[in-house]
Amino acid sequence: MKFSVCIKQVPDVAAPIQVRGGELVHDTGRLVLNAYDASAVEAALVLTEAHGGEIDLVLAGPQAGQETLRKALAMGADRATHLIVSEEADLDAATYAVLLARHFDETGHEVILCGKQAQDTDAGLTGAMLAEKLGLPYVTNAVRLEQEGDTLVVTRQGDTGQEVLALTPPCLVTCSNDMNDPRIPTLKGIMQAKRKPLDAREADLPGAPRTRVLGYENLPEREPGRVLDGDPADIARQLANLLHSEAKVV
Amino acid sequence: MSILTYIGIQGGSVRRASLEVLSQCRKLAAAQGLAVEAVLIHPQASDFVAQVQRYGAQKVYTVEDPIFEQHLNAPLVGALAAVIEQAQPRVVALASSEAVKDVLGALAARLDAPALADVSSFELTEAGVRARRPVLAAKFIARVEAEGQPVLVSVRAGAYDAEEAPAQAEIEALPFSFDEAKPRPTLREVIGASGGAVDLSEARYVVAAGRGVRDEEGKKLIDELAEVLGAAIGSSRAVVDVGLFPATSQVGQTGKVVSPDLYIAVGISGAIQHAAGMSNSRVIVAINKDADAPIFNYATYGLVGDLYVILPPLIEALREAKG
Ligand SMILES: Cc1cc2nc3c(=O)[nH]c(=O)nc-3n(C[C@H](O)[C@H](O)[C@H](O)COP(=O)(O)OP(=O)(O)OC[C@H]3O[C@@H](n4cnc5c(N)ncnc54)[C@H](O)[C@@H]3O)c2cc1C
Ligand SMILES: Nc1ncnc2c1ncn2[C@@H]1O[C@H](COP(=O)(O)O)[C@@H](O)[C@H]1O
Repeated sequence: MKFSVCIKQVPDVAAPIQVRGGELVHDTGRLVLNAYDASAVEAALVLTEAHGGEIDLVLAGPQAGQETLRKALAMGADRATHLIVSEEADLDAATYAVLLARHFDETGHEVILCGKQAQDTDAGLTGAMLAEKLGLPYVTNAVRLEQEGDTLVVTRQGDTGQEVLALTPPCLVTCSNDMNDPRIPTLKGIMQAKRKPLDAREADLPGAPRTRVLGYENLPEREPGRVLDGDPADIARQLANLLHSEAKVV
Repeated sequence: MSILTYIGIQGGSVRRASLEVLSQCRKLAAAQGLAVEAVLIHPQASDFVAQVQRYGAQKVYTVEDPIFEQHLNAPLVGALAAVIEQAQPRVVALASSEAVKDVLGALAARLDAPALADVSSFELTEAGVRARRPVLAAKFIARVEAEGQPVLVSVRAGAYDAEEAPAQAEIEALPFSFDEAKPRPTLREVIGASGGAVDLSEARYVVAAGRGVRDEEGKKLIDELAEVLGAAIGSSRAVVDVGLFPATSQVGQTGKVVSPDLYIAVGISGAIQHAAGMSNSRVIVAINKDADAPIFNYATYGLVGDLYVILPPLIEALREAKG
């Protein structure tokens, strides 16, 4: 099968990030491949290694996104498209879905994989928006992806259990990071990635987004708690008392 | 003009989170002179109307069809889109769940409506909706705005209180039709979870296990603690990974968001992706042998020590306290 994986570049949540004057300030040197998208790339690699096929990548984002595309190429994807948007553009999921839909209208598509959500916005909207725009059947929050002939068998994590669904391409699946552990690119992979085709072009923006961020804030501080250290039986009893008479929850 | 709330049904009853959202919509609607309406989509949708009336819906749309026995995104998007086109609301509010996350983006695209996902609060503006939503693994809050009509908003569980306010609702049953020919995923199997007795996302008490719980013996202690409290069982990704706890119990950025009165984190380090799902709990207890574990930054009460040694007397003491 031919896989097209939509990947997003996001700030590394493990790096220091601050709010200053309502804006997020983060180290621009620490932008990473969205973890959920890394799982989508891994899933495509596992399936193409077992059954044959190829993997295209697409990323919409500023110039710096190219580094993230190279990283996913180094994992083993075959080629990439970079839809370049300006650094300042504050775009929402709906706008990215339009850019991606136009891209796929041009290039064609078989199986599109997305992450279940982007680690920065935690929106989880783009995948299903894109599927609807392209008129594709889709499954979200996949924790397992298998190929049976020309059918994809997807296990999705639902509210009370898991649903096993079958669908045939063209289709779209959004991936949970609970699906696999994405591989780390090897040195050889990194060298090869430098020579893989990467088509970069300016994206034509579809007009002002209808959702936007007005500003960022820190979370309200939690009151500092109390630490109980000492004899286990003792602190266990203390806790039971505190929950009863102070916190009044039991 | 109205605000429309989608009422989710899970395990044969209305989700409490949906009643929380309905309660909030009722207040917003009252302040703006709007009607508050609800939609039920289920094979026996009418069975749940009475409960929705108790929480103040002035009009309840029902869509009944056997196809809604199991969650399937294609028919649900179709049904919701049809109801929204009929009701023409200013805002559609949905309590966030995996089922809602599954359809929100497609619904927004089909209706060409702006969507705000997983907000922790929201209000109406002239042009649409203003809201707050946790971002970056709930490390920060983004203040966001959407312009349009309708605006779709999904709301995190625990954002509001469910408050009764009985109303006499008008009921409108809407027909459901579905283009069977359109390609869609086919359901092969539903694998039910073998989690605890209490549903995690609705629970007042949650006992959650992490990698510190390393075997069946530890699991038994978690079960006992949960039983004494009448708590639901949650977990970190680490113990789901090794198969000790079901994936439905995972709390966090990938897993569920919970905000119980009491959350007891046992052998959980408190990684930011875990905290994303539980830091809004009212009282947090952390039990961890590493005094420097980040979970203690969230804890109302932190117990430093070996869970295998602390849990037995804790279970005993709680049993006595509950008498
Ligand atoms: C994109 C992304 C999404 C993620 N989503 C989630 C999510 O939804 N939920 C989630 O939980 N994680 C999630 N993770 C993983 C997360 O980063 C952590 O790896 C995970 O939460 C660690 O689980 P843990 O605390 O159980 O294990 P560890 O970090 O290994 O911590 C185990 C703790 O147990 C303590 N301990 C060990 N033995 C004992 C004992 N005998 N008594 C007392 N204490 C003991 C240790 O001191 C330690 O603090 C996500 C990660 C990524 C990258
Ligand atoms: N700018 C982008 N470029 C490529 N893919 C994207 C972009 N934004 C979102 N996606 C895809 O959509 C998924 C969900 O993103 P979101 O709706 O922002 O949570 C991501 O995991 C990606 O697979």
